[in-house]
Amino acid sequence: MNTSNHGAPIGIGRIWNWRITAISAVILLVVALVGVSFGPISLNFAKILRTLVGAPHGLTGQERVLLLDLRIPRVLLAALVGAALASSGAVYQTVFRNPLADPYLLGAAAGAGLGATLAITSSGGNVYGLLPIFSFIGGVLAVLTTFFISGKFFAEPNSLLLSGIAVGSFATAIQTYLQQRHSSALRPVYSWILGELTVANWQVVRWSSLYILSAIAILITVSKQLDGLMLSDEESFSLGINPNRLRIIAVAAATLATATAVSASGLIGFVGIVVPHLVRGITHRVTNRSLGAIAMMGAAFLVIADLGARTLLSPAELPIGVITAFVGAPFFLVVLRRKRVSP
Amino acid sequence: MSRMKYALPVLVSLALITPLSPSTAASKIPTVVVQSGGFPTKIIGVPKRIISLSPTATETLFAIGAGSQVIAVDDLSNYPANAPITKLSAFTPNVEALAAKRPDLIILSVDSTNSMAVRKSLNLLNIPVLMEKAPSQLSDAYSEILAMGLATSHVAKAKALVATMKTSINKIVSASKRKNSLTFFHELDSTLYSATSKTFIGHVYADFNLINIADKAAGADASGYPQLSQEYLITANPQIIFLGDAQYGENAKTLAGRPGWSAIDAVKYGHVVELPSDIPSRWGPRLVQFYQFIADSIAKIN
Repeated sequence: MNTSNHGAPIGIGRIWNWRITAISAVILLVVALVGVSFGPISLNFAKILRTLVGAPHGLTGQERVLLLDLRIPRVLLAALVGAALASSGAVYQTVFRNPLADPYLLGAAAGAGLGATLAITSSGGNVYGLLPIFSFIGGVLAVLTTFFISGKFFAEPNSLLLSGIAVGSFATAIQTYLQQRHSSALRPVYSWILGELTVANWQVVRWSSLYILSAIAILITVSKQLDGLMLSDEESFSLGINPNRLRIIAVAAATLATATAVSASGLIGFVGIVVPHLVRGITHRVTNRSLGAIAMMGAAFLVIADLGARTLLSPAELPIGVITAFVGAPFFLVVLRRKRVSP
Repeated sequence: MSRMKYALPVLVSLALITPLSPSTAASKIPTVVVQSGGFPTKIIGVPKRIISLSPTATETLFAIGAGSQVIAVDDLSNYPANAPITKLSAFTPNVEALAAKRPDLIILSVDSTNSMAVRKSLNLLNIPVLMEKAPSQLSDAYSEILAMGLATSHVAKAKALVATMKTSINKIVSASKRKNSLTFFHELDSTLYSATSKTFIGHVYADFNLINIADKAAGADASGYPQLSQEYLITANPQIIFLGDAQYGENAKTLAGRPGWSAIDAVKYGHVVELPSDIPSRWGPRLVQFYQFIADSIAKIN
């Protein structure tokens, strides 16, 4: 919690760290290229490059469709979801002054889970159309309910956390009841909870990028002031920050990004906690200077995890949530031991 | 990104290939639209490289003479023995791994993970996908066999198979119908999940006039698979217990060891039937064997 350990005074100094942002961008680019290049079907790498830059003698026929309509949307969706979860995780941790805060904390995950279960149980199998809309609405409604219940929000962020836990448990209880009443929904709900990117196509990429990129843009815009929230409210005021308004804007944007990510790909765990701490641990920077880097590293992490999901168990698919936790947890522990990690 | 843009070269290359195929002119290639699992599938020509991602479909394909057209089946399609079993997953289908085998028809279960998205992606790659849905009664199972006959150009054999199945099942059922019907419990697992008469397996028992004790709990689960309580089960006192979980180690002895169960008639008089592992959940040609198995089990009870 003590950020001054790293000798970076809060709220003063450089606002943005360009070097780490540029390095993250390069890593993301390389990882994305690796992501579209590998899969159960091996494609000629030179031809992939020619197709990507629009040069002649690229891929043709089925291979071209495979690259342009299956692999690229999937890599883009993984990147968008990773960026959304990592940046909103970082913001939640700052807003709640809690290193364990994650994007699902305010009931977004449980609400989206309930929405998805409703979609699956009410549509009798043909869930493809309804599921994203239902889980999006469920996630947003749950967070709104959390805000509404927590009357003391403006004075005490912890009461918001607690009402988030209550709303989450309530939504999960209804979800479990619905599943018990509709046992045919058990498997689809279960695989949705583990997270999956098999649904990726251009349509999903288009609508999710609209919400996720706007939300991240808002977060980066307010990130200049975000670290002021680590101080007491009185100190924030003295720095010219209105902490309540800032919290609402930050949490709203982070929730929009999270709800979109969840409705596009299910519940993918650990990205929102691991990536922000890793980037901060490596850069010794607090949130405001590294939010762009956190978003891009989150994107890169999920693209790699999805490559594993597509290829490790091939010819089957492995749920991506298994990989993010399996890789994320030990990696996180190593960093935690080596450095004192700040929120 | 228009999908048509990429579909076009594929269509063009198809058009170039077709005149080379023997004996048929391009215009005479048989095209069928098969309705299956609630979705229409357009199939051009006779499929020669079929992937079946459904154990039931695999059994049916081989029974209607389409076995030689099948290049790969999923990891659970263990019957017939000569089916080309692979590590392909029917539960979590991997689009690229499927496409890598260059199939010209894929049979996919509606219940597999993200089946709609998988179908859409495969269609983008110009691979037709025939959807298969778990039937809720015999007539659904028959329709699926006929649909597969149409899709693989084995209509006559599919019709003949359905006719034989109908006759055999009717014969088995009418030979074994009892006047005083027995009550039974079908155990799916040791936490007492069961199947009501609304389900496919429930219909099979109902055909034999057996009374399903799970029907009283039908309101608990819209899909027909309620979880019963121990107390209800002991009170309901079924005369036969069918163990769908025999393959997981449950048997008459483990049942007698459960608290209170020794008082249940089925346990007391040894009317506990261990169901074979695959046949009860395959809704294809081997249904006849399942009906025979149930008939034989009832016949042993006097």
